Amino acid sequence: MANLLEARGIEKHFGGVKAVNDVSISIEAGSIHAVIGPNGAGKTTFFNTLSGFYFPDAGTVTFDGHDVTKMINWKRIELGMSRTFQTPSIFPELSVYDNLLIGTQSQAKMAFRLAPPSATARNAMNARIDELLHFVNLTAFKDRPVAELSHGSQRLCEIAMSLAMQPKLVLLDEPMAGLAEAETERIVGVIRDLHDRLGLTVVFVEHNMRVVLGLAHRITVLDRGAMLAEGTPAEISANSVVREAYLGKEVIDHV
Amino acid sequence: MIASNRGVVVSCLLLVVFAALPFVNIGLEISTITEVFLIGIAAMSVNLLVGYTGINAFGNAAFFGLGAYGALLSIKYFHTDFVLSIVAGVALAFLGGVVLGPFLLRRRGIYFSLLTIALGQVFYFIAYRFTDVTGGEDGMTVIRPLVGFLNYKVDDHAFYYVSLAALALALGTFWIVVRSPFGKTLQAIRQNELRVRYLGLNTDRFIFVALIVSATLAGLGGTLFGLLLSNVSPLLLDWHQSGDFVLMTVIGGAGTIWGPMIGALIFVIGKDVLSSVTPLWQIYIGALFIACVLGFPKGILGSIFAAFEARRVVPPAPSSAAQAVVVEPHG
Repeated sequence: MANLLEARGIEKHFGGVKAVNDVSISIEAGSIHAVIGPNGAGKTTFFNTLSGFYFPDAGTVTFDGHDVTKMINWKRIELGMSRTFQTPSIFPELSVYDNLLIGTQSQAKMAFRLAPPSATARNAMNARIDELLHFVNLTAFKDRPVAELSHGSQRLCEIAMSLAMQPKLVLLDEPMAGLAEAETERIVGVIRDLHDRLGLTVVFVEHNMRVVLGLAHRITVLDRGAMLAEGTPAEISANSVVREAYLGKEVIDHV
Repeated sequence: MIASNRGVVVSCLLLVVFAALPFVNIGLEISTITEVFLIGIAAMSVNLLVGYTGINAFGNAAFFGLGAYGALLSIKYFHTDFVLSIVAGVALAFLGGVVLGPFLLRRRGIYFSLLTIALGQVFYFIAYRFTDVTGGEDGMTVIRPLVGFLNYKVDDHAFYYVSLAALALALGTFWIVVRSPFGKTLQAIRQNELRVRYLGLNTDRFIFVALIVSATLAGLGGTLFGLLLSNVSPLLLDWHQSGDFVLMTVIGGAGTIWGPMIGALIFVIGKDVLSSVTPLWQIYIGALFIACVLGFPKGILGSIFAAFEARRVVPPAPSSAAQAVVVEPHG
């Protein structure tokens, strides 16, 4: 299958520090791809160059046939890219419903309008929001201020918000970080659903090895800003360099 | 935060009460109440940026002053009538917003605030230095023109109703903007601009329009203010004046529709009443500002609304344990 996202020779420096050094990645359409590595490996920095949070100092990013290397963030979203952040990036004072409404309005090309939406348009948007709430299982919390939700539910709300834009690609930055076991399970379930039920391409950053090996189709391992290895979960868990440099023997043996 | 239908009913009732005020003696000059309306409109224009969009604008006096200067210059040099001079003032403020907007959009946060001050001061110095045209430090005084086609003299009584109509117009504009999809997006920008951009929206475009609406509203207040006094001076454009508009918004309640009017009332009446009692009146206003920021960060009206919200019976939230358990229906 064709590659939906492709990054070649990405570099990003902060002062004298090379946070990302010559990293390349190819994401096949319809796959789940994980980027792993220890803290400080440059995972999030690399991720940020893919999503236009900042631009790489060298290299190219191609998304769905478009060169997006220096494309401003909101234009990439129009092309079908979406992302979440390590700390859920939501609208804290709004209800869960209103959080989803902002993106739904945007997708419906209504956000810039002064006139209230017609009854038909409003019904269509409400139906869409209900669908998204059902997908992440937050229907019961529709009218709650999003700030009242648990951390994991806020993550799910953020995923639903990015789905409002009907993306082709979902980029998730450490979606399981700091979550309890049960909440991690929920996120894993939703990531599977993104792939199985919606047919979306998912790229996520993670350091929970067990989750990555069970979930991803392909894995890219970063260490100190550079690429260490790339392959299927079986290849990665068998790779001696990866095992010694980062994973720790027993973690893999337990999986 | 978002105006409810009940809010609209209350607002309309208040406007009716205001319309009756000139027939009742409440111990205030009619021109003082007019002043409250006009200063209040300017404070509302700041509220659109500070309270709703979340960008701290400290330069709206520039647009207020542009309105006043636009009206008086058109009277002095083109002998415009009452209506045309209003159009001239508002148009100049609108143009000011269009021209300054692209510069202001380049920065956010404290640098945005500094830019609003700096760009605002440019107009102050133009008015101050171009003595031949603007009258310099002394400003200009004109005779308030007639309404041309009716040959009607607008006395202070009639002017009160013109200002009340402007207030109704400003409130209506505000109400439409705040409740629209556009206004909801502005409020989302206040809370998290980055997320709005990652929902595929060019936030610059939204903030630009908010700036223009704000500049035009400030200009409307300023135009009528200049015509009320039949006089302008560079002080109208000064950043102290901008700061006062921000204080009114914060004291009254940023993010509420009527809050800035309450702030304007306190400022104008405070100046009028307190200044005849004590020359230190600004100290009292300052103390009130400190009290608001420390004790009532939502301002007077915002705090009242928050108290009502808290009293409403809220159904208990499902516990976070329950949130974690409901994982099944994905299949």
